[in-house]
Amino acid sequence: MKTKSTLKKSSGLSLSWIVMIRVAAVLFFVSVFLIPSFAKENGNDIENGYWLWIFLGKLHPLVVHFPIGVLCVALLMEVIAWKRKSVDFMAATQVLIVVGAVSSVLAVAFGLLLSNSEDYGSTILPVHQWLGIATMVLATITALAYFRYSLLVQRTLLVFTVVVVLIAGHFGTMLTRGEDYLTSALPSDEPNEKSQSGISYAAYDGPLSDGQVQEINLQVRTILAHNCYSCHGRSKAKGKLRLDTREFVMKGGENGVILVPGHPEKSEIIRRIELSPHHRRRMPAKGKRLTREEIATIRFWIQQGVPWPQGPEKSLYRVAALEPRMPVIPPVYSGVTLPIDRFVNSYFQKNKIIWGSVVDDRTYIRRVYLDVTGLLPAPDLIDAFIRNAQQDKREQLVRALLNQNADYAQHWLTFWNDALRNDYTGAGYIDGGRSDITKWLYSSLKNNKPYDAFVRELISPEKESNGFIRGIKWRGSINASQRIEMQAAQNVSQVFLGLNIKCASCHDSFINDWRLDDAYAFANIFADSSLEINRCDKPTGKRAGTRILFAKLGKIDSAAFTKDRLKQLAEYLTQPKDGRLYRTLVNRIWAQLMGRGIIEPVDVMDKEPWSQDLLDWLASDFVVNGYDVKKLIYAILTSRTYQLPSVGVQDAESINAPEYVFRGMLRRRLTAEQFADAVSATLQPLYPDSAVENKLFPTTIEKEIPFARAALVKNDPLLSALGRPNRETVSTSRASQANLLQALELTNGVQFNEAIRRGAIRWREKYPDAVQLVRAVYRSTLGRLPGKEEEAVAVKSLGQVPTMEATQDFMWAMTLHPEFQLIY
Amino acid sequence: MKSTWNRREFLKRSSAATLAALAASAPVASILNGCRAHAEKPSADTVILLWMAGGMAHTETFDPKRYTPFEKGIEGNRVLSTFKSLPTALDGIQFSEGLQAIGSVMDKGTLIRSYVAGDMGFILHSRHQYHWHTCYEPPQTVAAPHIGSWIAKKLGPLNPVIPAFIDIGQRFTVGEAEELKAFHTSGFLGNEFGPFFIPDPSQGLESVRPPIGMDSRRFERRNQLYNDLINKSPVGEFGSDYQKESLKRSMEQAYRLLNSPESKTFDLSQEPKEVFDIYNASGRFGLGCLLARRLAEQGARFISVTTEYEPFKGFDTHENGHTRMVGMKQMIDGPVAQLIKDLDKSGRLERTLVILASEFSRDIMVEGRPDARVKEQVDQPNVLSDMKFYGMHRHFTDGCSILMFGGGIKKGFVYGKTADERPCKTVQDPVRIDQIHQTIYHALGIPEDANYEVEKRPFYTTPDGKGKPLMELLRAQ
Repeated sequence: MKTKSTLKKSSGLSLSWIVMIRVAAVLFFVSVFLIPSFAKENGNDIENGYWLWIFLGKLHPLVVHFPIGVLCVALLMEVIAWKRKSVDFMAATQVLIVVGAVSSVLAVAFGLLLSNSEDYGSTILPVHQWLGIATMVLATITALAYFRYSLLVQRTLLVFTVVVVLIAGHFGTMLTRGEDYLTSALPSDEPNEKSQSGISYAAYDGPLSDGQVQEINLQVRTILAHNCYSCHGRSKAKGKLRLDTREFVMKGGENGVILVPGHPEKSEIIRRIELSPHHRRRMPAKGKRLTREEIATIRFWIQQGVPWPQGPEKSLYRVAALEPRMPVIPPVYSGVTLPIDRFVNSYFQKNKIIWGSVVDDRTYIRRVYLDVTGLLPAPDLIDAFIRNAQQDKREQLVRALLNQNADYAQHWLTFWNDALRNDYTGAGYIDGGRSDITKWLYSSLKNNKPYDAFVRELISPEKESNGFIRGIKWRGSINASQRIEMQAAQNVSQVFLGLNIKCASCHDSFINDWRLDDAYAFANIFADSSLEINRCDKPTGKRAGTRILFAKLGKIDSAAFTKDRLKQLAEYLTQPKDGRLYRTLVNRIWAQLMGRGIIEPVDVMDKEPWSQDLLDWLASDFVVNGYDVKKLIYAILTSRTYQLPSVGVQDAESINAPEYVFRGMLRRRLTAEQFADAVSATLQPLYPDSAVENKLFPTTIEKEIPFARAALVKNDPLLSALGRPNRETVSTSRASQANLLQALELTNGVQFNEAIRRGAIRWREKYPDAVQLVRAVYRSTLGRLPGKEEEAVAVKSLGQVPTMEATQDFMWAMTLHPEFQLIY
Repeated sequence: MKSTWNRREFLKRSSAATLAALAASAPVASILNGCRAHAEKPSADTVILLWMAGGMAHTETFDPKRYTPFEKGIEGNRVLSTFKSLPTALDGIQFSEGLQAIGSVMDKGTLIRSYVAGDMGFILHSRHQYHWHTCYEPPQTVAAPHIGSWIAKKLGPLNPVIPAFIDIGQRFTVGEAEELKAFHTSGFLGNEFGPFFIPDPSQGLESVRPPIGMDSRRFERRNQLYNDLINKSPVGEFGSDYQKESLKRSMEQAYRLLNSPESKTFDLSQEPKEVFDIYNASGRFGLGCLLARRLAEQGARFISVTTEYEPFKGFDTHENGHTRMVGMKQMIDGPVAQLIKDLDKSGRLERTLVILASEFSRDIMVEGRPDARVKEQVDQPNVLSDMKFYGMHRHFTDGCSILMFGGGIKKGFVYGKTADERPCKTVQDPVRIDQIHQTIYHALGIPEDANYEVEKRPFYTTPDGKGKPLMELLRAQ
């Protein structure tokens, strides 16, 4: 209870208090509403804020300590007052609380300004912001209460205010110092301890040998490359800082030098990489923090005076072995007998994965049909297959399908057309700047031409297969890196060797160790006269000689005629000792059948496979088997590995992520051609027979096609929307994801809806009863009967006697059903 | 500014589904963002490209020279322009006769008279168009994206139900169609960002309404059936993953677009008759302009309208140049001017950047450029014995005109100059294609170094990320 005298005192002071409170209210209004909104109008762009607002914002960390300190002291005084049961401090407490309230208003205002001008990108910010605002509101109410209400109300409010301000302060600390600012001092929270293949620094006493310089420098560059180059490299130099050469490292960025040789403790780079993970100036700003060992390596390197080798630097990039390797097949393990499965078994054991059961017959027959022939199995065949009781019926099925040579060729044609950028129409044909290899390709696939011969005939071609290395020539002059000899060099290395020399055909590559002269020397093999080296399209006056990318494969006779040089190249590249050629091929086939390569992306064969042994064995076995692609496909399709349940991923990026773990085939979408063929075969042909590019195929083609298959027709808006590429450049994988343009094409595209319409007429005639129709369409499209609920929904939509429109709509829905669209 | 769409606004407004669709896009490219999301505060949200396909002679349009009337036996070399010059809204600036309407709105935009097209050794319209639209000369080691696809990828749709990149007026059943297709693509960005084609603007609605013969109730029922069948199917076998989800999501989006009030935008019959008639006076191109205006009003991001390229048609005048130009001017003059006026009247011109351009210019004498002539492709006598030889029939790359309006572009401004005597080539402030692209990107707030990674290397909006915007063309903000 307040005494009279205090009441009197406070009412005596009340006028000036009220003025102060009003001032506070005005300040509050100005700061919370006007300043930030004005600031927004004048430069809501983060980088371009008005200087005054930025400046005031920067005062936030200073101002913010007033309310914390002042309110805490006020609480302390109240605690003492409460203990002593005295009111001696009342006047002082009131002053403190009003100061606390006013300063909290300012702190909030400046804080809002700061959050506008700096990008925290943290989820903590809103928490801190609202706690700060809550503090301000509470402090203001408390201040008001100190002139009106009972002591109990005052003290309760004050306690609340102080609790909230402390929590707000804590979040503020987490925002600037990192979430683990406090906990990091606790013994359990060690930085990432994953060890690198380290060097013992103790051994480096005294001056470093050349080898040691190379080694430590390589280690540092590797750390920088993996963690820093994406923002501070050739492609991007944030803060005007690059870390990819000695010169740039020493020069520093827009804020000056980043390191002091010999003095890690004075080096900005060390300070920044050692900041706690949520500090906004911490480096790397994105991604994982460096391990303790990595930091130690960089420290040591600076301590040693930033050693950098004089001569050539060791490669940062992983380079895959060129030679073939035949690993020992791991032992048989309960029921796992085939070589592929035994390799996968080792991998599973290492990764603690348990074998799942194999998929049922219906799923299996659908998979292998689509993978070998690109077609859906007919319902009767599915039933027969399920009824078949023979032990080896799956092997028999795959064998039989692989023997359907024409169907096989018509399916795999799509893959090879993409890879060899062969199409029936397209840019370049207009001026004779391009030729197609369709006839040759179709026959080669149909006859299962051994892969070594296949490659030889493309590299050292007769007329019918010269379209691949001829490239595409547009009318007029072209960029030096795109002359047809260079196109040949790029395409041969990409398709057959899983190697990208596109960068190196313009300048020394940043993504691998290939250099401009390597690319030119390789291109010269395809050139009638040695090409002048152009660097970024500027002639240099130099020439590169003539050589194959991998010198170990053989020496090209530069004096020979082009034709003979190509013959040499073809021989050298297809030798059994060129393990790279065969690894590239088996990996591509694996990726086609399993949804992802053993190495991914399939064009970067220097990347680490998820099982080196499996890849090496498949490639070596492929050579042993006479380069027989069908045998390879057979081995994969009959493996238990292939028969595992399919695996879905939540986002497409995770497929290429380094952490990828193989567990089984990835679920895939039907390709444009598979989808079109599935519609054609099950419901109604999408294309008339006349759409097939008969003239480009062997004359027997008309007898070999079940209907006008999509792989054999010109590209059109439907196929293009579904992902068939325009084959002006090599394309070795297709996006498996749906998108709006596809959906629009399927929802109201004329071509597709017209086929559905015609199909509906036929199906309705055949099955006038709704239940029969539903069952037949389910069997035809999904290879199964509808479930009870499915049938009920479908029949209801059709009505007892299906109308034309309802039949169309039902058939449309079935073709867009995920179960129809996916290979699962 | 009341409605400045920046990316944050966009994120807030577009639905979660669309966003997920954008974010989940898995093109070959992985994001290697430019340094900042936006270089500057954007001054434009929407771009309309008016494409004068086939090579529009600058001396016959926006940069006329001395007029020489036709006489039998006149020397071709004496002819610089085959039309009179008439004044425009800008003091001292004249346009060729037949473009008075566009002339009257030039106080709202900028005239560039010094565009220098790529020199690619030999004229091939589609190849020069490829260069204009992608900023890269074909062939390239990777498929280069159309400028509209870059914008669609970088900024996404302005209104989530309207496709971000709409291409009006070009059919692909004409000569050089394959070469045209080569750049009407999103290239390595993935076909999600490719153009939504409306070859015939009067049929625009067909592209965004339920299939022919299907009313909206049936369309709704069909969609419902589709969803029910999926929901009732045994999902256990192949639960949820990105392929299935992306399929369902895309179907939903398509359904939403086709069922949305915005789809009415594509229906030109909704336009008042008097307005429709002004645009329709010149047929397909004019209606394309009208559709573009309606789409811009509803939040399309990038719209291209073309007079349509077809070899030897339209602006590709290999003979009868003068006579045909009369018709081409009629085709463009009214609609283009009306488009600018309409956008200006509704206030949209402030945030809509309109560009009128062509792959190169034409001349009666010079094929290619004066200092680098290329192989002749036009049968053009030196002495004009017949009216059919009177006109700009050869392909000229050393001086072309471009118009730009709105979206932060200066008003009543003229940039660059060509010579008054033959060769009428650029003599001041030459402008290259990468500068044009960067100016557009700058207005949209896309940084100069915007790039995506493809095959482990950065691929920039303009070659090597080197192009710079022409700041002279932009108003100070």
